[in-house]
This record gives sequence, C-alpha cells and structure tokens, in this order.
Amino acid sequence: MSYLGIVVTSVFASNALLSYGLGNVPTRARDGEKSGQTSTALALALVNALASSFLWVVHSFVLAPLNLESLDILFFALLAAPLLKFLAKAGSAREGALSRMASKADDLVVGSLVFGVALITANAGFSFPEALAASAASGLGYWLATVILESIRERLELSDLPRPFKAAPAMLISAGLVALALMGIDAAFVKGMTG
Amino acid sequence: MSELREGFVPNPILAGLVGICPLIAASRTLAEGAVYGLGAALIALGLGALAPPARSAIPERLQAPATLALSAALALSYAFCVKAYSSTIASSLWLYLPLLAVSGLSLSTLRRSANLERIGPDGRSRLADIALEALMFLILAAVVGSLRELLGLGVLTLPTPGISPQRLVFSDFPPLRILVSPAGGFILLGFLVAAYSAIVKPGGRRNP
Repeated sequence: MSYLGIVVTSVFASNALLSYGLGNVPTRARDGEKSGQTSTALALALVNALASSFLWVVHSFVLAPLNLESLDILFFALLAAPLLKFLAKAGSAREGALSRMASKADDLVVGSLVFGVALITANAGFSFPEALAASAASGLGYWLATVILESIRERLELSDLPRPFKAAPAMLISAGLVALALMGIDAAFVKGMTG
Repeated sequence: MSELREGFVPNPILAGLVGICPLIAASRTLAEGAVYGLGAALIALGLGALAPPARSAIPERLQAPATLALSAALALSYAFCVKAYSSTIASSLWLYLPLLAVSGLSLSTLRRSANLERIGPDGRSRLADIALEALMFLILAAVVGSLRELLGLGVLTLPTPGISPQRLVFSDFPPLRILVSPAGGFILLGFLVAAYSAIVKPGGRRNP
C-alpha cells in the first residue's frame, strides 16, 4: 500500500479509538484541557511514532529472529515505556510549546493507545518508514476522533436528553454512530484508490 | 425495585467506565467476552496481591516500570494459558490479550496499590475492593459479549477448549449484524450504561 493509503487507513478505516477501541471516549469535560490543541495532536503523533519505531526495531531485529515475537509486550513495558517516560519528563522541564507537548506525552505513554498501536504496527509486516507513518497517523486518527467526540459532547450538554442518557451513555452511542460513519471508508477501497 | 437497585450499587465499571473501550473491541462473542473479562479480573487480582509487596521491596524510582513489567508478565502468562486452552479464542483476541497489561482495570489497580495501606478509608480491604471491581468487569464483559453475539449473529459461542469452540445456534440468519462491529458495541454499551443509570438514579425523565 502507498504511504497515502497507509495514512488514510490509519486515520479513518482503522481508527485507533473507534475501530480498535484503544484509548478512551471523552465522556466528561477535562479541567482546562482542550483536545483540539495542536500540541495534543503533535504529542499523540510523536509518542506513537517513537513507541512504534522502538518496538518495530526490537520486534524485527531481536524477537523475530529468536522466534520470541509474543514477548514484545514485555520488552515494551521493560524498555520502551520507561525510556519514553524519561524523554517526556526531560522535555516537560523545558519552557514553551515543547513543555506542553512533553507533559501531554508523559500522560500518554502508559496506556492502551500507545501499547496497542505499537503492537499493531510491529505485527503488520510494515517496513520501518511505513510503520512510522502508520503509527503517527494512528495518533492523529485518535486525536481526530476525540476532537469530533468532544464537539458532540459539548452539543449534547446543551440538549434535552432523558436523564439516564445524560453524559456517558449519549457519548457512547454517539461514538458508535461516528464509528459507523468511519466504517464507510473501507481499507480495501482506500488501497484501490491510492495504490 | 429497591432490592434490584442495591444489587447494582456500587458497580464501579458501569459507573466509572473503567477499561471500557478495549472491552468493546475485544468482546464480540460470549467466548471472547468471558475470556477477556476473566483475564482482566485475574490480572487485577494478581496485581492487587503482588504489587504492594513488590513496591515495598523496590527503590521508589524503579517502582513504576517494575509494576508495569509485572503487569505485562501477568498478561503474557494469561495469553499463553489462553493459547494452550483454545488457539481459536486466543487468535480472535490477538491484540487484546497482551493489552490486558495496560487495561483500565490493571492501571486502576496499580494506582490503588501505590498506597501500601491494606485497609481503605471506608474500612474495607483494598483487595476486596479490587476483587469486586474485577468480578463486575468479568460479568460485564461476558454480558456484553453474549448480547452482541446473540442479538447480532443469533448464536452463542461457548468458551470451550480446543480449536473449534461449541456454538449454540438460535437463529438461521444474523438478526442485527451491526452489533458485532465496534460501532454496534459502543451503541449497545451506551444503552446498557443508560439502563444502569435508570436503575441506580431513578426519578424524572428529563432535566428542567
């Protein structure tokens, strides 16, 4: 598949949140945080790209030759997560936009999103640049899904919903409807269109 | 009705939506839901029992990576057990078995075990709290999996060992196939959480 196809598939057809269930649906407002910020998108793309490239190298050059691919989660937890945490902490000690991005990255490192995307890209048979593109695009896809769901949540807060459906249930149903819309973008169709 | 309500309270999983998104993607059938839920429950219990003594024996700055590695080791062990029990169920849960290491339930257990006190402020044992949460998660995963499979495909796949799990066929055609997709899972869970809210917090259809 072309790089464009990989990016479109990772953002839409195989969306990390709405297709793989990685991460969390934003069911309530977070204090002082806007998921639409550019720093959030960059942090998501960067953390996913770094984590996935690390796991890709370990998977391809260490675990696969030894037939130990199933141990990748253990290696990831032992090596990649502490390393990424360290990098994020070092970045958040600085000033400005980098600090904001790094502190967001620090929150993301240990979670099903980063682990899941790294495992998917390591096992998908991608080359290194393809894995890098797919993982960064998965981070952006997650960001896009949370931005869409945040805007739906803001509208739902003003809507006159039956009380049991307020907050989380309405958000889960909305997430299902957005996922349904994304199902229309089929991976095979994207492959045919983009080569 | 009040007895029914008491049975539902507290349900930390439905109330707090702990680890709910991977559960939606993982539990498409009864077998997958039960195996995934059991894994999450066992790993949470294992972390609840092993993490506090491990924390007291490890220097503070190494505690976070060490407990994460412990969680990964437990998830990996469970994945191997599932593969030995039924390779079909293991392959259908391919991504989600190792991801049990960082499921919402595991991470909330790790956060709780950071406090070395064995008794919580409410006087209950922390391990008992974790066990309750784990049991609720297991039940929810099995219920979500069975509802999706039954309403979506009209069959129930039992978590039996071997390469071809036993299936109970209730309908010759899939009644509502969309429920087996992640989109259907989100929608079904939304209705389940709404039903839970209606039972726990009754009164008034709409806010003024």
